[in-house]
Amino acid sequence: MRPRRSPLSRIPVMGPIISLFVVSVAVTISTDRFLLLDNLNNVALQASIVAIVAVGSTLVILTGGIDLSPGSAIALLTMIMASLIKFEGMSVPSAIVIVLIMSVVMGAINGFLSSYGRIPSFIVTLATLSIFRGVAFLFNAGSPIFSVSTSLEPWFYGQLFGIALPLFYVLITYGLAWGFLKYTPIGRRIYAIGGNESAARLSGINVHQTRLIAFIIAGLTAGIGSILMTARLNSGSPNYGVGTELQAIGAAVVGGASLAGGYGHIVASMIGAAIIVVVQNGLNLNAVQTSWQNITLGAIIVLAVFMDMWRADFGRLIGRAWRRWAGRRVAVSEQDADDT
Amino acid sequence: MRTPLVAKDGSRPGGLSVEWVDRMKADASPICEVRDISKAFPGVQALDRVSLALNAGEIHALVGENGSGKSTLVKSLSGVHRPEAGEIRLRGEVVSLPNPIVARQRGVATIYQELSLVPSLSVAENIFLGRFPTVASGQIIDWQTMRRESVKTLRELGIEIDPDVVVRSLSMAEQQLIEIAKAISEDSGVLVMDEPTAALGLAETRRLQDLIRQLARQGKAILYISHRIDEVFQIADRISVLKDGRLAGSGLARELNVDSVVRQMLGADVTEHYPKQRNTKNEVLLEVEGLSTQTGVRDVSFSVYAGEVLGFGGMVGSGRTEIARALFGVDRPTGGSIRLNGQPVRFRTPTEAIRHGVALVPENRKADGLFMNFRGPENITIANLAALLYGPFLDLGREMRFSQDYFKKLAISSTGIEKSVQFLSGGNQQKVILARWLFSQARLLILDEPTQGVDIGARIEVYRIINELTAIGIAILLISSDYPELLAMSDRIAVVSNKRILQIFPSDQLSEYRLLDMASRAHHPGEGRTHET
Repeated sequence: MRPRRSPLSRIPVMGPIISLFVVSVAVTISTDRFLLLDNLNNVALQASIVAIVAVGSTLVILTGGIDLSPGSAIALLTMIMASLIKFEGMSVPSAIVIVLIMSVVMGAINGFLSSYGRIPSFIVTLATLSIFRGVAFLFNAGSPIFSVSTSLEPWFYGQLFGIALPLFYVLITYGLAWGFLKYTPIGRRIYAIGGNESAARLSGINVHQTRLIAFIIAGLTAGIGSILMTARLNSGSPNYGVGTELQAIGAAVVGGASLAGGYGHIVASMIGAAIIVVVQNGLNLNAVQTSWQNITLGAIIVLAVFMDMWRADFGRLIGRAWRRWAGRRVAVSEQDADDT
Repeated sequence: MRTPLVAKDGSRPGGLSVEWVDRMKADASPICEVRDISKAFPGVQALDRVSLALNAGEIHALVGENGSGKSTLVKSLSGVHRPEAGEIRLRGEVVSLPNPIVARQRGVATIYQELSLVPSLSVAENIFLGRFPTVASGQIIDWQTMRRESVKTLRELGIEIDPDVVVRSLSMAEQQLIEIAKAISEDSGVLVMDEPTAALGLAETRRLQDLIRQLARQGKAILYISHRIDEVFQIADRISVLKDGRLAGSGLARELNVDSVVRQMLGADVTEHYPKQRNTKNEVLLEVEGLSTQTGVRDVSFSVYAGEVLGFGGMVGSGRTEIARALFGVDRPTGGSIRLNGQPVRFRTPTEAIRHGVALVPENRKADGLFMNFRGPENITIANLAALLYGPFLDLGREMRFSQDYFKKLAISSTGIEKSVQFLSGGNQQKVILARWLFSQARLLILDEPTQGVDIGARIEVYRIINELTAIGIAILLISSDYPELLAMSDRIAVVSNKRILQIFPSDQLSEYRLLDMASRAHHPGEGRTHET
C-alpha cells in the first residue's frame, strides 16, 4: 500500500517497534518498577484507550486532515453514558449502543463541516473540541457522575483466557481497521485523497464522501474509547479525556503517519500509542511533574515529525513544493528535466 | 522588422555593416561560456558534453524538441541544476553556480516560461522583489527610491506600465515585460529566456522581440530558447540545436536555413517520429453542441468519431483546457448539449464522466494525475476499483495481475510495480496514467499535453499507444502546444481561441504557421482568467 519510507525498514512497522524497544529499555533502566506485572498491566490498560482512539485519528490524518476533538468527545460521551445508566436506569448494553450512535453523529458533524462544508478540519475540530466539552458540562450541572453501576467494571477489567479484555478490543479494532484500509475501496480512497486530492477527484473519487467516512470512524473510535473510560473509572466526567487527542495524534505521528496525508500504517499507530504511554509511565514512575510530562509529550510529537521529514525522500518534499508552485502558474510547459 | 536573413545591402539595423559587427563580436571574448557540461537524470542523459558561447550584443537562439535538454541547460546556467561534468565561465572565469541566488548575483538572469511574479504585489514591488531598497540601516523599505528606479527601468525599456499597478491586473504579455524589467534592473550581463513567447500572440511576440534586440544592442548576451523555428530565424544572430542532450549543430543564423535546422532537431527520420495511423470509424462517438460554461467557454460545437484523434490547437489560455474540463464534469456547463453514443449526457462530477467512459489525462501529471504515495498497481486501478471487487473486498491478487499485464503491454519500467511511481521517469509515469484509463474502460480519452516532459523515446511510445487505442475505436481529444505533434497525430484539428472553436480542419490541410497564425491573431491574452489545472 505505501512505499517504503526507509531502506532500513523493510517492514513498515519496524521503525516504531525499534523505538518502542529503545524507550522501554530506557524506562527499565531508569526505574525498577516498570517491569512489575502490576505496572505492565496498568500500562497496557492505559494504552488501550489511546490506541483505539488513535485508529480514528490515523484515518483522518491519512486523508490529510486532523481531528482535535476526540478528547472532548470522550468527556461528553462519558457523561451521556453515566447519565443514561445512573439516572435513566438504562442497561449497560443499551447505553453502549446509544453512546456509539451518538459518537457516529459527532464524527459526522466534524466530517460534514470539513468536507461538504469546506472548512479546514483543523478549524472544525478546534471548534467542536470546545463545543463537545461545553455540552459535557451541561450534564449533571457540570459535576462528575460517580459510582455509575457495578455491572460496568467487568467490561473493562474482565478477562478472557486470562488476558485483559481491553487487549482484545484493541486487537479487534486494529484488525478491522487494517482490513478496511487494505482490502476495501473506501480504505484505498482514504489513502488516495491524502496522497493527491486533485488527482483523486479527477480519478472519480468522491472526496467529500470519503473524508466524511474517515471522520465518522474517528467519532466511532472516540465512542469506544469513552465507553472504556466510563467502565474503567465507573464514572463520567466533563473533565475526562483532556489531552487524549494529542496522545492519539502523537501515536499516529510517532507511528510514522505523515501529517500531509497519504502515508502511514495503521498497525504502526498501535505501537505509537504504546510508545507514548510507556514514556508517560516512565515519567510517572520517576515522579516527574505533570507539567514536565506535558512538555515531553509535545516534544516527542515535534521530534517524530522531524524524524519523518528527515527519513522521507526529498522527492516528496520537492514534489509538494513543485505542485504548489505549478498550481499557481501554469503555462505551456516544455520540460523540466526532473521529469524526464 | 528584420528579416531572418541579412538585408540585401548587407547592413544591419543600427547602420553597422555585417563585417564590422562580426569583428566586434569576435574580438570580445564571450561573456558566458559553457564547456562540455553533462547532466544525467534517472533514465536519461539530459545533457551530454554540450558547449556554448554567449557573446555580448548577440542573440543566441537554442532550439530543440521537448526533452532535448534545453531546459536542463537553462537550469544549469541559472543555478537550479548542477552539471556533473564540464564548466561554466563568466567573463573568462570559471564559476560554480550552486543555486539561483548566486547565479543572479553573478549576472545571469533567467526568465522562465512560468513567470515568477507575485500577482498580488505591484509592478515596482515585483521588480525589486527580494532586494528592496531600504533606509534606516536596512529595516524600512524605501518606497520612493523603489518607485523612482522602477519608473527609470521601465522607461529605459520603453514599457508603458504604471509601476503602482498590481501585477494580477496585467495581461500575460505585460507580465512577461515586467519579468524582463526585473531581470534587467539587476544589472545582469547575461539574459536567459526560456520560451518567452509561448503564451504570446504575434503582435506581442513582435514587441518582445524588439525589446530583446534593444537589449542586445546595449551589449547584453542573450540566450533565447524556443521551439518555434520561424520565430528563431526572425530574431537570432546565432542558432544552436540540441538533440537528445547533444549539440547537434551551431552556426550564424544567416548561414543556416529552416530546413537544415529542422533536420538537425528531428534527426533523419521525421516520419518515424510521428507514427500516425488513421483509424477514424464512421461512427460518431461524441457530439457537442453550443456548449458554454462559467469558465468562459462560448458556444462550442464539434463532434468526434470513434477511433479519431481530434486535436485542439490554440494558445495557452485560449480555452482548450476549459472545454476539456467541461466535458469531464469538472466545470458545470451553463448551456448546450453533449451527446455520447447518441445519448444526451450531463456530467456534474468526474465520477459520472468516468462511469460513462470519459477520461482525462491532465496537463500537470504530478499535481493532478499521480499518487506518489502509491505504487504503479494502485495508481492504475484507482479509477475503477469496482472491477477488483470480490464481495465487498479488493482482490489484490487480481490487481497485481492486471497491473503486470499493463506494465508489459505499455512497456512501463517494472520499477513501478514494487515502488512508488515517483521513481519512474516522466514517460513511464504518463504511461501509468494511460493504463489507469485503459483499466477504467474509457471510450473517450482527453489528453492534455500528454508528451510534456516526456523524453523522445517515450513520446514515440505514447504515440504508438494513441494508435493502438484508436485502432480499437477509442476516440481521443488531443490538446497540445507542440504544434508539429498536434499536426502529425491528429486526424482533424479544431483551432481554439478566446474560448471558442474558430474552425475545424483536416490536419493535412493545415501548416504549423497557419495554425499558429490563426490561433494567435484572434487571441487576447489576459482577457478573463485562465483556468488551467
